[in-house]
Amino acid sequence: MADDFSTQELMAVYLARELNDGEILRVGVATPVAEAAVRLAHLMHGPNMELVFLGVRMNVAHLETIPMPAFGWDRRVVRWAESYSDTGHRFDRVKGWDNHVFFIGGIQVDPHGNTNLIGIGADYRRLKFRGPGSVGTPTLSTHIGRYYIVLNNHSPRVLVEKCDYISAYGWGAGGADARTRMGIRGGGPKYCLTPLAVMDFAEDTKRMRLKSVHPGVSVDTVKRETGFALEIPASVPATPAPHPDELEVLRTRVDLAGRLRR
Amino acid sequence: MNTKRRERIIDEVEAASWISDGMTIAIGQPTPMAVVRQIIRRKLKNLTVVDSGFSLDLLIAAGCVRKVVSYYAGGGFGTPVTPSFRRAAERGEIEVWECEEGILTTGLQAAAQALPFLPWRGGVGTSLPEVNRDLKVFTDPISGETLIAVPPINVDVAILHAAVADAFGNVQHFGGPGWIDLFMARAADRTIVQVEKIVANEEIRADPWKTTVPGADAIVRAPFGAHPFYSRGYYVQDNEHLRQYNDAAGSAAAGDGKALTAFIERYCRAPATHADYLELIGVKRLLSLHEY
Repeated sequence: MADDFSTQELMAVYLARELNDGEILRVGVATPVAEAAVRLAHLMHGPNMELVFLGVRMNVAHLETIPMPAFGWDRRVVRWAESYSDTGHRFDRVKGWDNHVFFIGGIQVDPHGNTNLIGIGADYRRLKFRGPGSVGTPTLSTHIGRYYIVLNNHSPRVLVEKCDYISAYGWGAGGADARTRMGIRGGGPKYCLTPLAVMDFAEDTKRMRLKSVHPGVSVDTVKRETGFALEIPASVPATPAPHPDELEVLRTRVDLAGRLRR
Repeated sequence: MNTKRRERIIDEVEAASWISDGMTIAIGQPTPMAVVRQIIRRKLKNLTVVDSGFSLDLLIAAGCVRKVVSYYAGGGFGTPVTPSFRRAAERGEIEVWECEEGILTTGLQAAAQALPFLPWRGGVGTSLPEVNRDLKVFTDPISGETLIAVPPINVDVAILHAAVADAFGNVQHFGGPGWIDLFMARAADRTIVQVEKIVANEEIRADPWKTTVPGADAIVRAPFGAHPFYSRGYYVQDNEHLRQYNDAAGSAAAGDGKALTAFIERYCRAPATHADYLELIGVKRLLSLHEY
């Protein structure tokens, strides 16, 4: 069973291992890998985690299964709420977010982890592709303890030298003080996870660097599919594979509908 | 002696008559569809709409919208962006007031608190203040930090959907109000709330802490009034109906508007009242949307 897993399962398990007990995990919509990862972590090693989803703050480590939502905005999740907030309460307190974690996507991501949900095109009033809008990513990425960029696609159209518009400031124009010099408090993006690889950010330049390639993927493929020059270390390990027990919990208690295996 | 307390119950047709061309309206979550359909039926135009998702898309498709104040125009069903919004924005047919949740709630709060702006951090370092010139990057006078000044977002009419209300406009939600509904209500000159059920005033008094909108200006009794969206405690969203809309809107965005025109005619323009609409959807479909 350990040899037979999908790329999305690999990504979900990798992210789950990144999450620590006691952290507050905020999940958005349309991010099945992140949705699965927080549930898996909560069940396997996070009995004191709290999940914040659609205004509902909950600890559900006691449940036999924590299925992923059947469709976005499924409000039945409120039955597990230990507290509920409309967006205002959610943003009424942004201090003390050091142990909060968030996950972000983007239609474009640049070498310093800045992301774009606004759109593509030189003329803002006549965009070639109008994106969905920033959701809560500017506020969340500004204050959150750390966040992960999770992409469904690793291609030169997504990983670009320069975003047409920036909706969430990652590491700006680069440099270790890229956030502090702007007075932006949160810890910023830690990794960028794609179906091909895991990237981190070099300590001094905060430029994206290849950390691992997924099993069966070559470094050359990653280079070819990235629209900018990635920093490539001398030796690039393979992304660790899921263990059988992680896959079992994932498949029987989280991803019951097999969304990560489509 | 005048001793009769005024009741605030009106129907969805009268509710829509509170809105005129060019107004700024804010639409809550779940969408108060009974009133939204009447807005479309009245052929209202040039509205500035504070809303997100599919209901915003429908209003754009129906030609009601000049300006959008939205933090998210995402759809479900594999569409990251809703089709009518995307097409209208790309063609410059609608103006987009680019923002995000924190900026939007800050602007609504500034309106509610009668302030010329409120500061916010989220958005500093992004393109938002560049593409939305109403957002001003400034240095704060106390500690010299870089912040964004968000102007007030004043709303003429906020329209919400909730669980229950009494005849005097005291609204209670099941499981909490929608996403930014309370911000919308506080920023609005007037608030209309659709509810599944009208309850006795005594029921409100039994737990006044649960009252989310005290004394709304008007209450519309609209069972299944959020259809095709969910209503927490009552029904889930009608995915089949939303998919039908999504397909029609997607075809229209790709150049073939027949299905979308037919959808709007059938579901928004033809039914004269909410009851007519519910008859069209049918009891069997409505009862199939049970939560458990």
